[in-house]
Amino acid sequence: MMAQPVPHQTSDKKRVKVYELKDNDWWDRGTGFCSAGYVPVEEGQPKEPRVIVESEEDPQRLLLETKIVKDDGFQKQQDTLIVWAENGVDMALSFQEAEGCALIWRFIDSIQQTFQPAIGVHDDSLSDELAMDLPATIQLPPAELGALGELEATMRMMSQTANGRDALAKAIMNDDYINKLIPLIEMAEDLESLQDLHRLCNIMKTILLLNDTGIIEHAVSDDCVLGVVGALEYDPDFPSHKANHRQWLNSQGRYKEVVRIEDDNVRRKIHQTYRLQYLKDVVLARILDDPTFSVLNSLIFFNQVDIVQHLQSNGGFLSDLFSIFADPHEAQLRKKEAVLFIQQCCAIAKNLQPPARQTLYNNFLAHGLLQVINFGLRNYDVTVRVGATDILVSMIDHDPQMIRHTIYRQIQEKQPPLTDTLIDLLLVEVDLGIKSQISDALKVLLDPTPQGGPPPEARGEFVVGQPRVRPQAAIDPQQELFLTSFYEHSAVRLFKPLLDLEKRTEMKFGVLNDGIFSYLNDILCFYIRQHHHRSKFFVLQHNIAQRFIQLLSCREKHLQLVAIRFFRQLVVLQDEFYVKHLAEKQILGPVLDVLLRTMPRDNLLCSACLEIFQLINKENIKDLIKHLVENYREKVMALAYMDTFRDILSRYDQTQGYTIGPEQYFLESEDEVARRPSNARGGGSMMEQLITDPAQEEYFNTSDDEEESSQVQARGPLAPSTNGSATPKPALVEYNSDEEADDPNGDAVMSSADPLPSEGEASKENQKPPSTAASAAAAAAAAAAAASASGPPPERLSEKRRREEDDEDELGKMMQQHKRRNSTSAAANSVAGNGSSPTQQTQQTLRRKKSFASSSSGRESPVNGASTNGGGAAGKKIAISIAPMIKTAAAAAAAAAATGAGGRSDDESKMI
Amino acid sequence: MADLDRAIAQLRACRPIPENEVRELCHKARELLIEEGNVVTVQAPVTICGDIHGQFHDLMELFRVGGDVPDTNYLFMGDFVDRGFYSLESFLLLLCLKVRYPDRMTLIRGNHESRQITTVYGFYDECLRKYGSANVWRYCCDVFDYLALGAIVLGASNTLSPSTGAGGGSSEPIPPELGLTEDDIEIEVRNADGHIMSRFPRQERARRAAAAAAAAARRSNSNGSPTNGAAPAPPEREVVVSAPSNTGPPGSGASGSSGGSVGNPAGAVLCVHGGLSPLIDKVDKIRLLDRKQEVPHEGAMCDLLWSDPDEIDGWGLSPRGAGFLFGADIVKVFNHRNDLSLIARAHQLVMEGFKEMFDATIVTVWSAPNYCYRCGNVAALLELSEDESGLGTYARSNGDVNRSDGGMGDGGGGGGGGGGGQRGVLAENELMSLRMRPGPARRYRVFQAAPQDSRGMPAKKPVADYFL
Repeated sequence: MMAQPVPHQTSDKKRVKVYELKDNDWWDRGTGFCSAGYVPVEEGQPKEPRVIVESEEDPQRLLLETKIVKDDGFQKQQDTLIVWAENGVDMALSFQEAEGCALIWRFIDSIQQTFQPAIGVHDDSLSDELAMDLPATIQLPPAELGALGELEATMRMMSQTANGRDALAKAIMNDDYINKLIPLIEMAEDLESLQDLHRLCNIMKTILLLNDTGIIEHAVSDDCVLGVVGALEYDPDFPSHKANHRQWLNSQGRYKEVVRIEDDNVRRKIHQTYRLQYLKDVVLARILDDPTFSVLNSLIFFNQVDIVQHLQSNGGFLSDLFSIFADPHEAQLRKKEAVLFIQQCCAIAKNLQPPARQTLYNNFLAHGLLQVINFGLRNYDVTVRVGATDILVSMIDHDPQMIRHTIYRQIQEKQPPLTDTLIDLLLVEVDLGIKSQISDALKVLLDPTPQGGPPPEARGEFVVGQPRVRPQAAIDPQQELFLTSFYEHSAVRLFKPLLDLEKRTEMKFGVLNDGIFSYLNDILCFYIRQHHHRSKFFVLQHNIAQRFIQLLSCREKHLQLVAIRFFRQLVVLQDEFYVKHLAEKQILGPVLDVLLRTMPRDNLLCSACLEIFQLINKENIKDLIKHLVENYREKVMALAYMDTFRDILSRYDQTQGYTIGPEQYFLESEDEVARRPSNARGGGSMMEQLITDPAQEEYFNTSDDEEESSQVQARGPLAPSTNGSATPKPALVEYNSDEEADDPNGDAVMSSADPLPSEGEASKENQKPPSTAASAAAAAAAAAAAASASGPPPERLSEKRRREEDDEDELGKMMQQHKRRNSTSAAANSVAGNGSSPTQQTQQTLRRKKSFASSSSGRESPVNGASTNGGGAAGKKIAISIAPMIKTAAAAAAAAAATGAGGRSDDESKMI
Repeated sequence: MADLDRAIAQLRACRPIPENEVRELCHKARELLIEEGNVVTVQAPVTICGDIHGQFHDLMELFRVGGDVPDTNYLFMGDFVDRGFYSLESFLLLLCLKVRYPDRMTLIRGNHESRQITTVYGFYDECLRKYGSANVWRYCCDVFDYLALGAIVLGASNTLSPSTGAGGGSSEPIPPELGLTEDDIEIEVRNADGHIMSRFPRQERARRAAAAAAAAARRSNSNGSPTNGAAPAPPEREVVVSAPSNTGPPGSGASGSSGGSVGNPAGAVLCVHGGLSPLIDKVDKIRLLDRKQEVPHEGAMCDLLWSDPDEIDGWGLSPRGAGFLFGADIVKVFNHRNDLSLIARAHQLVMEGFKEMFDATIVTVWSAPNYCYRCGNVAALLELSEDESGLGTYARSNGDVNRSDGGMGDGGGGGGGGGGGQRGVLAENELMSLRMRPGPARRYRVFQAAPQDSRGMPAKKPVADYFL
C-alpha cells in the first residue's frame, strides 16, 4: 500500500467502494483504497491530477484511475460520497470514513478551483459578475519595502474569502513570492525599520496560515526556511521582543547522523520534518489555527512514514547501523547515539500502520535488535537505558507475543531470559521512568492473554490497570511453560525486597529505595488477578500477606498505603481462597489498628482503610464479617459510630438468632438463589460439581489436554450457554472496586442479587456441605418464616431506594448504561419481584451470563428491555420487591420440599 | 526552607527547577497531601480559583490581582496543567507554595491531573521537552494521585470584608439614597485594578429591612411579593446602582441573623473541580474513596472531576463521555442535604470568568484568561470573607464520617418559604419547602490576560537534537 509515492497519500482510512451506474443500477466495481494526487504520466510531461483506487485484494490492480478534468463535474454528497460523470458514465466513490472522503475531496476541490476563475484583488471587483470575468491569476504588488503596506492590506483582505485565499496561494507559488520577500528582511534589518519588519512578519503569517500544503513545504525548504522564520522573529504582538529562530535552526549539530544516509531526498525530508516541527511548536505555536495545525501534522507524518520506510528497506543501512554494536572498539558515544536513533525510529513507528510497523520490527529483529536492547539495558549511561527501555516497551506495545516467543526460546536454550534482565534492572534502577516502564513490561509479558487481545495503548503506562475482559482459557503451551519457569525461578528474585522484610525488624527505608514496594505491589496484584492458582501458591508459600503487614508498621504513610492496597486487592477478588487467607493471617486486625490509630484525623490512609471495610460490608462478604466481629469485636465497636462498622456489626448480630441453615439462607437471599442453579444445572454427578475452577483443574491436570475439553468437563455437559473461550469470570472479578464500592445501587447488589458469576463463588459452593433435600426443606421453611416475620432487608437499603426514587428516572437510566452490574441485577430483581417462578429466574441468570459473555453489547440486551421500560423503573422496583421476592422464593422452596424429592428436585437444587 | 524559597523564586521567574529538586519537592508534597482528607476543610477567608491550564503569566497576574501568597489564602480547584505552554512551571510553583505554606494553599484535583489526559493535552510533551525524559512528568503524576478531591470552606461571612487585593481597599460608597450599607451587598464584582464594576444586594436582607420599617400594607404592595413561595419571583438580581429600591432604614440587617441558624451563618461552600455524582449523596461519602489512583473512567471519583451543571432536570449524559450533567434540582437537594450554601466548581470555560447558576446555588469559576491564548475570555477569582461574628467558626471535626445531616437548625420562624421563594422558581413542589442556606457574600475579581510584553512569546520548547 505504501509502495506508490503519491503525494497526499495517507493511511487506509480511505477505503472505498467504486460504483458505476449501469442500467439505472449502481454496479459495484469492487473495494479498494483510494488516493489522489499528481501522477507522472509520461516523461517530460507535467504531472496530472488523478484519483486512483487500488483493489483491496490485489493491490496491483487498479479499480479506477481517473483524471480530474473540468467537465466531469465532481460533487461531494453527504459525508462519504463523491460522484461524477466520466465519459458519460455516472460514477461514485463511497468512502468508509468521512475523514478519508474529506481528504480526497479537498484535493479534487482544489483542482477544480483552478478551473474556475479566481476572484480578484481590488475592492471594486466584489460584485458577482465582475468576479466571474476576472483572470485566474492575480497580480500582487511588487516585493519592495515601499509596497509592504499595500501588500499587507491586500493579503489581509484576500485571505478573508475562500476564493481569495486560493488565488493568493496560487499567486504566491507561481511568482515564487516568498523568495522575493526574503531579501527584504535583511534590508529592513539593516535600516532598522521595525515597522517594515512587523509588516513582513504579518505578511509571512498570512502566507503560512493560507493553509496550503505546497506553500508550507516550500517555506521549509532549504532555500526559504531561514528567511521565513527570520521574518517571523519580529512579531508586532511582542514589539519589544525578537525571537531567535534563525539562530536556532541554523546552528549546526542539531542533526545527528549516526550512519550516513545516502539518499539526498530522504536527508532533505529529515531536515524538513524538523523544521515543520519547529514551526508548529515554536514559531506558530500561539497563532496556529486548527486547519494549519492538521496540515503541519500530516506533512510531518507523511515525511516520517517515508523516512522510516526508506530506512528499513535499506539493508545496507541497517547492517551498518547494527554493526556498531558488534564492534567492541566502537566508541561508547556512537553506540549511544545509535540506540537513540533506533529509539526515535520506534517512536515514529507507533504512528505507522500495523503491517508496516511489523515489517520494521521484523527487519530490526533480523539485524539483532535484541542484542541492542540487552546492551542498552545494562549500560551505565542512564540515557541509553532509557532508550533501550523505550525500544523494548514500544515493541511490547506492538506485539507482546513477539517478545514472549523470544523469551520462550531463551528458556529452551537455557539462556538467562530477558525477564531476568528486566527484574535485575527493576530492583537496582534509580531512574523512575525506567522502573515504571519495566514494571509495566513485566506485567504485559506475563499476561497469559492469548494473542489477539486489544493491543495496549500508547506507552503502556496505564493499560495494565484497567479492567479488561480477559478470557482465561486457551493459554498456549509456550506461555504455560514460560509462566511455570517464571514462578520456579524468577518470582522469588523479583519479589526479593518484599521477602527480605522477614529478616528485618525495623521498617526504615531510604527515600531512594522505598518506591520499589509500590511497583512490586502493582505487579503482584496484577499477577494475582491473572495467574490464579500460581500466584495463590506463591502468596501462600512465601507468606506474602505477613510481609505486607510488616509494612503497616512503617512510619511512611505511603508505604502503609501500599500494604492497604494489597489487602484491598485480596478482598476485591472475593475469592474463597483469599478470603480464608485474610482470616487465617489475621490481616484485618492490623488494618483496623491503622484505622484506629489515624481515625480522629481524616486522611488518605484513613479513606483507603475505610474503603476496604466498606467493600466487605457492601459485598456482604460473610466470612470476613464473621471473622471481623468474632475476632475484633471491640475494635469494630469502637468504630461503630460510622455507618460501615455499624452495619457490619448488625449484619453479624442479625444472623446470630438463627441456626446456621436459615441464617445463611436469609443472608444469602437471592444471590445464592440466583447463582446456585447455574452450578447445579450441570445435573447429576457430584464429581462434576467438585471441579469448578477450570484453571485449578487444569493445573492439576497438567496433561496436554485442550483447554476446551477441561472447560466443558468443569461446567458439565449441559452447559451450552457458556462459551468456553469467553468465560468472563476473571474480568468481572478483576473489575476494580472503587466505583462499585460507592455505588448506591451496590446495596441492591449486596442484599438482593450478586451478579458475579465468579470462580470464587463457584468454589464456595463446593465447600458447603452438599445440600440434601431434607436440609433444604428445613432451610426453606425457616427462611420463609423469617421472611414473613422480620424479613425486611437492612433499613438503610430501603431508605436509599426511596431517596433514589426522589431523584429522576434519568439516574436509573444512566446507571443502566454505565454500570453493567446494576442493570443486570436490577433486571434480575424486577423479574423476581414480579413473582416469577424460580425456573424463570434461572433462565434469567442464564441469559445474564450470556449477556456478560457477549461483551458490552450485552448491556443493552433484551433482558433489560423485557423486564422493564427503563433502568429507572427497575431501580425503583428493587426496594419494593425484595421482601415479597424472598417470600415467593421461600414459599416455592417449601412447596418443593413438601412434594418431596421426585420431579421437583430439579427446581429445588436451584433454589438453595 | 532556603532551598524552597530559592526554588519558588526561580519558578516565579518562569524557569524550571532541576529534576532532582522536582523529585524532592514531590516527595515532600506527597507527605503533606497524604495527611489531607479527600475533602479538605478550609477556613475563610479564602480566594477560590478555577482552571489555570499552564498559563503561567496569567497565574502571575492572578496573584497580582488576588494578592500574593502567603498574604492571601488560596484554593485552586484543579486543572493546573495542559493546553498552555507553561504547565510545568505553573504546577511546580503552586506545589512549591503548597509545601512552603501548607495552611495557606489548598490544591484539589482536576480532570487534567491525570496520566491519560496529560499525555494527550500537552503536559507530558512539555516535560519531555524541558527535561529530555518523562521522569518529571511521572513525579508530578504521582503527586496528582495524592491531591484531594474537594474542599469545604467554613466560616464564610455574609458580609464582605474590605477589599485588600489589587488597588487596595477602594471602597466606593454606596449611594445613600439606596438605603443600603456595605453589609447588604451579597455580590460584588471588581476589575483587575480593584475598582467596583457592579454590586448586588442581598435581596432577602433588603426585604427584612423593609419589613422592619415599613407597614404590612406597603409590603403587600411591593412587586413580586417574594415571601410568597408560590409566586415565581424573577431570579434576576437587581443592580444596586439602578435599583429603584426604597427599602428600610440602613443598618437594620443585624449581622449573623439572616439565616437564623446556629453555627456557620453562611453555610458551607463545597469546592470541587467538576461537580456532583449520582453516587454521592452526602459529602461524607466522598471520604470513603481511596483516591490514590489514576482518575477512573467512571464512578464517584470520576464524576466529581468531570460532571457539569446544566439546565436540565435530574441527571443527564455528559457530552464529555465522562461524568454527568446535573440540573438545578440535584444541586438544591444536595446543598440542602449537606447544609451547603454554595458549590464552587471550575471545569468549564465561561467568557465572563464566573457564572452563577440555579439561583446562586452553584458557581463556575474560571481563572485562565484568553484560554489557549485565543479564546478571548476574561478570568475571575472568588473571594470569600471571614465571618468575624464568631458564630461561624466551629471547626468541623475531620473524619467525622457520620455527621448528622439533620442539623439544619431552621431557627427563624416565618422565614420558611422565604429562602426558597427568594431564590426563584423551583422545579418541584417538594423543593419549594427546602430552605436554602443564605449564600456567603461573594467578591469576584475579574482580570484579563497578562499584558503580552510581560511574558515572552508563548511557545513550546523545541526539540534540541534530532536523528530523524
